Amino acid sequence: MIKTTPTKKRLLLFIFFGWILLILGDRVGDLELYQGSFVATYALAITSIILLTGYSGQLSLGHSALMAVGAYTGALSIFNAGLHPVIGLIISVFVAGIFGLILGLVVARLSGPYLAGTTLALAISLPTLANQFPILGGEEGIVFDVGVASARFGDEFSQYKWFFWISALAALIMVWLVANLLSVRYGRTFKAMRDNPVAAQLSGINVGQLKVMAFALSSGVAGLSGGLLVMLISGVSPSAFPLSLSFAVLTGAVVTGLYNLKGVILGGLVLVAIPEIADSLVSRIGGSEGFTTTLPGFLVSALLILAVVFTPNGPGHLLKRHHHKKKV
Amino acid sequence: MIRNKSMKRASLASAVIAAGALVLSTLPAQAATPGVSATEIKLGISSPLTGSAGVAYGKVPGAMKAYFNYINANGGVNGRKITLISRDDKYLPTLAATQTTNLILKDNVFALVGALGTATHSKAYKAAALAKNNVPDLFVNTGFSGFGDTTKYPTTFTVLPSYAMEAKIMSKFIKEKFTGQAVALIAQDDEFGIDGVNGFKAGALTLASTTLYPQSSLTDARAKALLTGLSAIPGKPVLVMFGTTDVTAGILKAAESLDLVSKFTWIAGSVGGDANTLLALGVKATTLNGVVAASFFPDAKDKSDEYVSQFMTINEKYNKGVTFDNVVLQGMNSAMLTVQALRAAGKNLTRAGLISAIESKGAKFAGAGLVPLNYSATSRIGYNGYWFGQLNASGELKPYGGTLAIFTTDSGAGAIEASTYKRPTMPKNGIPTNS
Amino acid sequence: MTQFITAVLTSLSSGAIYALMALALVLVWRSTRVINFAQAGQAVLTTYIGYTVIQRTGSYWLALLVAVVSGAIIGAVIDRFFMRPIFKRIKSGPIVMIAPVVATLGLLGIIQAVIGFIWGLTNQSIQAPVSTDGFKVMGTVIAFSRYNLLVLIFVAVAMLLLTILFQKTDIGLALRASAYSPEIAKLSGIKVDSVRTLGWAIAGASGGLAGMLYIPGYFLFPNAMDLLLVFGFVAAVIGGLESLFGAVVGAMILGFAINFATTYISAKLFFPTAFIVLVAVLLLKPGGLFGSKKGRSA
Repeated sequence: MIKTTPTKKRLLLFIFFGWILLILGDRVGDLELYQGSFVATYALAITSIILLTGYSGQLSLGHSALMAVGAYTGALSIFNAGLHPVIGLIISVFVAGIFGLILGLVVARLSGPYLAGTTLALAISLPTLANQFPILGGEEGIVFDVGVASARFGDEFSQYKWFFWISALAALIMVWLVANLLSVRYGRTFKAMRDNPVAAQLSGINVGQLKVMAFALSSGVAGLSGGLLVMLISGVSPSAFPLSLSFAVLTGAVVTGLYNLKGVILGGLVLVAIPEIADSLVSRIGGSEGFTTTLPGFLVSALLILAVVFTPNGPGHLLKRHHHKKKV
Repeated sequence: MIRNKSMKRASLASAVIAAGALVLSTLPAQAATPGVSATEIKLGISSPLTGSAGVAYGKVPGAMKAYFNYINANGGVNGRKITLISRDDKYLPTLAATQTTNLILKDNVFALVGALGTATHSKAYKAAALAKNNVPDLFVNTGFSGFGDTTKYPTTFTVLPSYAMEAKIMSKFIKEKFTGQAVALIAQDDEFGIDGVNGFKAGALTLASTTLYPQSSLTDARAKALLTGLSAIPGKPVLVMFGTTDVTAGILKAAESLDLVSKFTWIAGSVGGDANTLLALGVKATTLNGVVAASFFPDAKDKSDEYVSQFMTINEKYNKGVTFDNVVLQGMNSAMLTVQALRAAGKNLTRAGLISAIESKGAKFAGAGLVPLNYSATSRIGYNGYWFGQLNASGELKPYGGTLAIFTTDSGAGAIEASTYKRPTMPKNGIPTNS
Repeated sequence: MTQFITAVLTSLSSGAIYALMALALVLVWRSTRVINFAQAGQAVLTTYIGYTVIQRTGSYWLALLVAVVSGAIIGAVIDRFFMRPIFKRIKSGPIVMIAPVVATLGLLGIIQAVIGFIWGLTNQSIQAPVSTDGFKVMGTVIAFSRYNLLVLIFVAVAMLLLTILFQKTDIGLALRASAYSPEIAKLSGIKVDSVRTLGWAIAGASGGLAGMLYIPGYFLFPNAMDLLLVFGFVAAVIGGLESLFGAVVGAMILGFAINFATTYISAKLFFPTAFIVLVAVLLLKPGGLFGSKKGRSA
């Protein structure tokens, strides 16, 4: 008889979920696999926001910059240093994490809008710096090639399925690690700090140190997400990390529910699906050129706003509230 | 733990439902050649329609559609109507990659036409596996010379002359016409400007000053500070503006404010020299008078040009409410080249057939460009030269010195040669009849 | 020397431009604790309305008035029908910070799409109401025009009037009270919700002013003020987010830093300078130059 501790149970759940994805991956077409890979990638980025904002109460508008750090690191280690893609992605995590650590040390004293402003300024300045170093390849950027899947998977195994496997597996492992970390070690401390920093401080929690750590962890996860993102678009460029990416990820986090690590896949799904839905609606409605050009932007924004207005704490929160009663 | 499980179930369920919805939204039609039926040819374009870049280039797909609709109204190509599916990538690499993949996998287009942007299209090309599926990638709208590399981009044909060619030819022009004047360069700090800087180096032009500015940083204040600095150069310096049209407008307006219009000899690159746009952006006609601009097309205001006047007529009827300018001219011209390519590939349309048709016959296609098209079995470069003109107060571009002088070159170390090229006369009513 | 004078003058005029946006952001922040990213959209929308007025009547000043009034109305409508319902659903935790950001960003997207649909996606330009030719001082034309002066005066006057409104009037007291401590304000009989809406209206009006003053020196298109929003926000944060005077000072610091760095070091430093200046200021004063203590972390 296996004794089911929460940790073991979680592992089994993740394996089960991975197995479902594996089966799903064989049933759908290339386009869905490609979209699925983006879902996994965005889910990771959202995880990183939830870690930072939901658990440690810090607001970042500069996650696109952190993702860029991971992406460039990954591309350099794969393309220039010739390392294996898996190692490249792991290096992405660590370098982005160290970058986040340094950034966290600098901004640890800032709160709310001050932190938001600083990270925003970072997000607009970092891409222009990327243009200054010839090794980073300018606008054409550096190719990020994970190669094709091993021949033993057969001819039918497309590039997109390979993308899907890599990103889904990376996301599963990372989210699993984060979930464990939060449940075993830091979850309560983070929450205590977020909900009442003064009380946390009094009960012996080093708030400053904890905030910096949250920044480093979040940054590492963002780095992996950035690495995966440029894998999916097969190369890295400064313009692949616009401010709008930061905002998109933030939106995904709100839709997910900021305190709800388990819903990240939903947030990722929303970010990928809403533009698709908007596009197909528009093509169904038709109309003048000006109308069909501006309508998708309108619909995407409108749907996101509806999501925020009606479930500002994420749909998961509704369920959560329901279960709180049982628990208490 | 109850909480965890039901949460998990909820997210799993939603994932499955959404994945299912995505599956339902696509039902790929497997034909012998994707995107071609007995009555239709489906083409796709991913380009910026909204956002800052959309303001400048959003007219391209509309202009192409207008021309295709004109051809469709006149019988189409070998009995098939052309449908152009346009997707907005907002000039962002990630969107370009997903939109182009959508064009291939969801919309099942036969070929891509007129993609725009270096960072965007270089990503989209690989992400959508264009090389692997042998999808023709026609008439890419960027002057980045890298797209001519057939090992990286085996199915791509560019149409614009490269920025490097432009800078090389401009070097020769400046050295000959403005001997003794110092030259200053203001260029955008990305592949556009950097290709240009390398081109000026290859053209052996000495630059007294080079300013590379990040995109969208050249504000009114910056332009004034820059011009003040450059006005310290003695004599009448030549000022080369290698940026987008809004930046050219900003610099010229700053010069008006500082009373420095007559201090410089102004040269605008082909990307930033559209007179209609400059006037619309508030540049005074008197300032524009005398500005030198590079081009490979006829002047978009020149109604005496047979292509321009034909395209204007089509624009009026099929692209209502859109003012005719360089961008519309460029879009229509690419559409006209596309129709000829499709005709040349014959009734039995295949992707490989289309590519080899352009390779073998592309150099002879009729188009508005005043410089030769350079397609061959070994070259995927479209136009490869420039001529220089001078704008007058009504914004018309007249050949510099009164006679049209065309120069051609390549993006590398090749020589700059004077060309006597005469473009093919326009097919009757602008409807190609080639085969 | 000319280079130096030009750098000073252009710093002043770009600082004034940043200040226009910073003021509007501070007004919303003060009254509702929201960073209003839709401000860029609101301001461009009112400028398009002003543009239409100019097309019809030819009068810039009438257009300015219409833009300011419509800015106030749009601001009030957004708060009443949009922000208020959201705040009814969220009360505490980080979501209070982040949901308004996302909501106002969504609103920005909607406004820009609507503008694109009504006015089209091409560049327009608005003629400045006064000459943009630089003043002539001792025979040389300097990099400062009547138009630059006009912007500077408007910024100073707007800042003064708003400060008086906040510090010396009952309305100002109510505005401050509802922002600092809504509960106590409510108890002392202030209609907190209406007062907040008023805060949004004033901010919207000031955004309307910003657009009509900024666009003549630039061009008009749906995204015309996106970047200005970023710099305005950075300026407001430097100034401490609480103080109108701080916003103007922050904007001037930013204007000087950017123009001097790009003039004397490299044009490539345009964006990084904003980050460096902000970090430098916040390292010294984590709540900005003129921020209240409340803004700082524990």
